[in-house]
Amino acid sequence: MTNSTRSGHSGAVLRKPRSRRHMLTTWRVGAVVLCVLALVGLAGCDSSGDDGSSGGKVTLSYAVWDQPQVPATKRIIAEFHRSHPNINVKVQVTPWDDYWTKLRTAATGGSAPDVFWMTLAYFQYYAKGGALMPLDSQIHSDNIDMSKFVPAIRDAYRFDGKTYGMPRDVNSFGLFYNKKLFKQAGVKFPDSSWTWADVTAAARKLTNQSDGVYGIVAPEVDELGWYLTIPQAGGDVLSPDGKRSGYDQPASIKGIQFWVDLVNKYHASPSLQQMTDTDPLSMFTSGKAAMYYGGSWDPVAMSSVPYAKKNVDVAPLPHDVTRNFYSNGLANAIYARTKHPKEAWEFTKFLGSKRAADINATTGTVIPAYKGEATNYVRSMPWLHLQRIVDQLPNAKPFPSTIDTSVWRDNATKEFAKAWTGQETVPDAAAKVAKQMDAALSDERK
Amino acid sequence: MSRAESVVPSSRRPRDKGSHSRRSSNVIPHVVLCVGAVLMVGPFVWEVLTSFKTFAASIHVPPVLVPNPFDWHNYLTVFQTLPFGSLFLNTVLMTLARTAGQVIFCSLSGYAFARLRFPCRGLLFGLFLSVLMVPSQMFLIPQYQIIQHLGLLNTVAGLSLPGMFSAFGTFLMRQFFMQLPVEMEEAARLDGANPWQTFWHVMLPLSRPGMLALGILVAIWSWNDLLWPLVVNTDPAKMPLSAGLASLQGEHLTNYPVLMAGALLASLPLIVAFIVFQRHLIQGIASTGIKG
Amino acid sequence: MSVSVDKSEPATVATDYRPTPARRPRRSGVHRGEAWWALAMLVPTLVGLGVFSLWPIFQTLYYSFTTWGAFGGHEWSGLENYRSLLSDSELLQALLNTVIFTAVTLSSVPLAIVVAALLNRPGMRGLAVYRTLYFLPVVTLPASVALMWKLLLSGDYGIVNWLLSLLHIDGPYWLSNPSTAIYALAAVSVWSSVGYNMVILLAGIQTIPRDYYEAAELDGAGKIRQFMAITVPLLTPSIFFVTVITVINSLQAFDLVFLMIGVNNPALDHSQTIVYLFYKTGFIDHDGGYAAAIAFVLMLAILVFTAFQFRLQKRWVHYV
Repeated sequence: MTNSTRSGHSGAVLRKPRSRRHMLTTWRVGAVVLCVLALVGLAGCDSSGDDGSSGGKVTLSYAVWDQPQVPATKRIIAEFHRSHPNINVKVQVTPWDDYWTKLRTAATGGSAPDVFWMTLAYFQYYAKGGALMPLDSQIHSDNIDMSKFVPAIRDAYRFDGKTYGMPRDVNSFGLFYNKKLFKQAGVKFPDSSWTWADVTAAARKLTNQSDGVYGIVAPEVDELGWYLTIPQAGGDVLSPDGKRSGYDQPASIKGIQFWVDLVNKYHASPSLQQMTDTDPLSMFTSGKAAMYYGGSWDPVAMSSVPYAKKNVDVAPLPHDVTRNFYSNGLANAIYARTKHPKEAWEFTKFLGSKRAADINATTGTVIPAYKGEATNYVRSMPWLHLQRIVDQLPNAKPFPSTIDTSVWRDNATKEFAKAWTGQETVPDAAAKVAKQMDAALSDERK
Repeated sequence: MSRAESVVPSSRRPRDKGSHSRRSSNVIPHVVLCVGAVLMVGPFVWEVLTSFKTFAASIHVPPVLVPNPFDWHNYLTVFQTLPFGSLFLNTVLMTLARTAGQVIFCSLSGYAFARLRFPCRGLLFGLFLSVLMVPSQMFLIPQYQIIQHLGLLNTVAGLSLPGMFSAFGTFLMRQFFMQLPVEMEEAARLDGANPWQTFWHVMLPLSRPGMLALGILVAIWSWNDLLWPLVVNTDPAKMPLSAGLASLQGEHLTNYPVLMAGALLASLPLIVAFIVFQRHLIQGIASTGIKG
Repeated sequence: MSVSVDKSEPATVATDYRPTPARRPRRSGVHRGEAWWALAMLVPTLVGLGVFSLWPIFQTLYYSFTTWGAFGGHEWSGLENYRSLLSDSELLQALLNTVIFTAVTLSSVPLAIVVAALLNRPGMRGLAVYRTLYFLPVVTLPASVALMWKLLLSGDYGIVNWLLSLLHIDGPYWLSNPSTAIYALAAVSVWSSVGYNMVILLAGIQTIPRDYYEAAELDGAGKIRQFMAITVPLLTPSIFFVTVITVINSLQAFDLVFLMIGVNNPALDHSQTIVYLFYKTGFIDHDGGYAAAIAFVLMLAILVFTAFQFRLQKRWVHYV
């Protein structure tokens, strides 16, 4: 393998006066290496020194997952900073799909953000696992009046007698629709009298295959999908005692069949494959679908799309046997192992203040869990009849959650996908989901 | 023809001036190659065009070729969603650190295996080879824990550190060293140089092609690395471009123009570097294929 | 090359450095302290690999025999993970997906051979330009490649389906249809690796002496015949190298699946690769023990495939 070339006085190689050139090369290389290592070292020190308290200044990290809500969040942070100049807060936005993965990995590793958004679906898991800091002593010593929060949300973030979350918002929902498409098809705008049958009929009439327009988008999701229709049909996803699944009840099956029929029977909604290919909300805001079941946090995203701002309005949710729906609400939680418990509490306290709620409401970002902000929310976007969304709040039922919600929730989503693609009938899928959910629930009790 | 010379592209070698009739028969090959080239470059063209379209224009059927109106906002959105400057800096630092680390350390160890004699050399080399055979996923979880214990999560150092050492790099450098003439070394030894001096003054300069090849491979691999950064840096400001782009998609789902703008911005630096240094890059890559 | 041998200079005593008497090299050629020098030079890589590669291998192996708790902590569970592995249909499907992906990606090798052969023709102009264009996908961030192709393959709005519609073919939803997803991913993989394979193969082709072709030409052999009888056999070492690399990389495919197929994609089960399943198990479901077992299975698969290829090479690779 070695090419040997006979060269004579190879000894002469080492006797050339190359010392100077070599020294230069050595220095050059050495300098480059030092620079690189220094840069790396600096970059490494930079970030770890970031959340240290250097000279009294503290930097907190605040994790969220919804980009459209960031502007309001940054305003809140700016106001907080004015009254607490020694505390900086850095917002970390991680998309929903990755948020819980990262949070759990980080929490296990001891490097979770100081303050972060928490949702009911994961709350009990994190609380039980000791990843959240109990807030009762701080609430008590700072005399925070917890009665100013919507009771359902406030109580939902208590676990084992302790409070682990500062309530942030409460969810309501509405039927968003495209006025232009409705007018073109000659269909009356939705109103509070609408039932499921009205939705289906309108969706069929609004669907125009040749134009690539669908009457409605029926995504395979629970929160914006069957968590609205199952309670409306009078069913329950989880039994009131939290021990059994309600998915195999006739009412639940009815609630899911509503969506599946829109896709597979009436072809008034894009298929699951299409909605995986292109995101449903974008389909709606670009005029490819005429109706969309949306949440109280959706308007702020829609307002950034000019077409949507011009043509979209919202109506109350169509009802079935009842008007009930499952409602979630976010809270701000503090990482149990945060390095800055005092500062994190100061920030969280501010996040739960009226001022923060005002900002969230007046920007139309969310309906705050702080009572009395609904009017601000409604006024934030005059082009939408947001009052109709707020009016639904009395019909809200607590979000179904257990110690390890994601186990059975994720499985339900996976199984029902087969109903959306027509691989399984809804009753069959529901039976499987209920069985697996019951097993998971009994595992929890062990 | 020795192996080392074959690295040079044929356009540089003395061309065999064969019969002229061969020139005209290159039409079909050109056609075929052109079709292939269009397939290669087409997606990039589409990427650039789409990055300037409005969302409505990007989902228009039939597809719109030229964006009209020209929408710059997509790029703005990218910068609003991602801390692009940080992402770029992180990627550059990580790539530099890994490249410098591997080139330096692997040259050292490659030389040791190639030319020095020491006890258990065979055993150690076998150990290195076995590491080579193992996919990186076997290291991932413990590597994560080590970085975590060192307190280097969410830092550029944590990003770069494991990638600064490589069995493959050692192997590659060993190959290069073994192809160099023994005489130089022997002469140096006879002059009384110790192994370090031999290495530093004689062998290292000779192995520049090898170091270049290794450096290029490590740089490209490092720039494009996704799995490790995903795992180790969860803070969006500390991610490299690859992971940052992934979260851009998570945020904007199927907002194609924004995604195209982000994709273009993220891959542009390496593409530009490639076009500028293409000769060296390709030579380096080609030479890794001509090993024993 | 910075070393120049000046043969004209007479042998004189070195002025740069002087060998110290105590360290005069022995006649046998082995330097007394050579082992120490070797150790010193090996230490950085040894330590680095030891900490970041060797130790983790054993750690992962150990973890494959454990189950993990909620926020950390693990306990011994013996062969539990491996038993689940054998009956895990998701894993078996992922294995199948990965094999399909690898098989289809291998088609980039013959494609690259053809391109390299065409580029090697005498009088081929614009070689550098072609080479650059074909290599462009290789230096593009895989994340960018994924996003680019996601748009192109969009069922309703992508160029691919639009072109097919011109031929009156109704294109499927490539990335959300379970039957097509893995093939779509593999096609993207072919697209992005042809350039790399081509460069290596081209360098290999250029080592083949032109005389062979001229001799064949004189014997009346056509271009195709020359290609099959001369180019391909002599190119087999490079082909082997490229094939081994492609197989090893394809078996570890992750980026494309992660970026182009989302968690809620109905096609996920039929397109996720082993490494993606590993990532999902270890970092999304946080089941580190099971993930470790999967990693072990992957390692075995790679070893088997590579050993198989090395065994086979005696049959078809002609080393000159």
